[in-house]
Amino acid sequence: MAVLSPQVVFTLFGLQITDTIVSTWVMMLIIIIVAIIIKRFKPDLGEMIIESINSIISTVMAEDEDVTKYLPILGTLGIFLLVANIFGIVPRMVSPTANINTTIALSIIIFFAVHVYGIKEKGLWGYLKDFANPIFILPLEIVSQFSRTLSLAVRLFGNIFSTDLIVAIVFVLIPFIAPLPLAALGILTGVLQAYIFLVLASLYIASAVEVQEVEQERRELKQTIKESSR
Amino acid sequence: MWQLDSQTLITIITILGATIGIVIGCIVPAIMEGIAVQKALDGIARQPDAANDLRTTLLISMALLESTAIYVLLVILVLLFANPILDRFF
Repeated sequence: MAVLSPQVVFTLFGLQITDTIVSTWVMMLIIIIVAIIIKRFKPDLGEMIIESINSIISTVMAEDEDVTKYLPILGTLGIFLLVANIFGIVPRMVSPTANINTTIALSIIIFFAVHVYGIKEKGLWGYLKDFANPIFILPLEIVSQFSRTLSLAVRLFGNIFSTDLIVAIVFVLIPFIAPLPLAALGILTGVLQAYIFLVLASLYIASAVEVQEVEQERRELKQTIKESSR
Repeated sequence: MWQLDSQTLITIITILGATIGIVIGCIVPAIMEGIAVQKALDGIARQPDAANDLRTTLLISMALLESTAIYVLLVILVLLFANPILDRFF
């Protein structure tokens, strides 16, 4: 059990501060300082980063969708995960995503963001109506909403944690050069998992928003048919 | 014959079950991911224009396939490091 639970570094007002939280604070500080430096001295680089995140999101969204609407949540998520997944290679730090509480929190944020964007796009009644269209799909929809939230959290945690664990085990056996290729593999896995989390989150938001357009097209088609038959 | 107490027996059975489980749980998703990559490479070789779409779909489906192996890994980690039976009865 000592392997699975994070170590307590110090206690603050009766709250146990674990090494995951300390790593997250250090990481937040680094990201904020780098963001300020990029904004002050190299605005072109920031524009390039935003463009690349936009292009990742727009691969799964609908063609004419305005992806900058979702950039605040998805871009933040992408940058956070990209740094967090490879943060374990920094000495004396652990990856924040190697703790299941972090990944569950992130996937719960995505769970609520999907519904908020869906309700904002279609209105409450229209969004609820899409859940039961046709009616026998309702239980499947509800199960899939929860299972995909769980799988999003567990996938990220499992990948990052297992690579960290493998590096630690090999380090105990052969401490000299042998853990290096595995650490490099861990970096590759971390970048890939950040990309996959970002793509899946935008896919879920797209699936909550997109149905409305089909509905709207159907309504417009019905309207034109009605007008032309007149 | 040795006289094993029940805690040792449960530990042995747990380790055996965990080993068999991780072996099967790694082999099957690996074969299936191999099939997925093979089909995607066939598609890219046949139609190089569709490479970008295929790559995105391939990465997403690989992640979904790989999560099966990750579930097995998690169950086995719980069995080895946080075994509920060993804690409850002893």
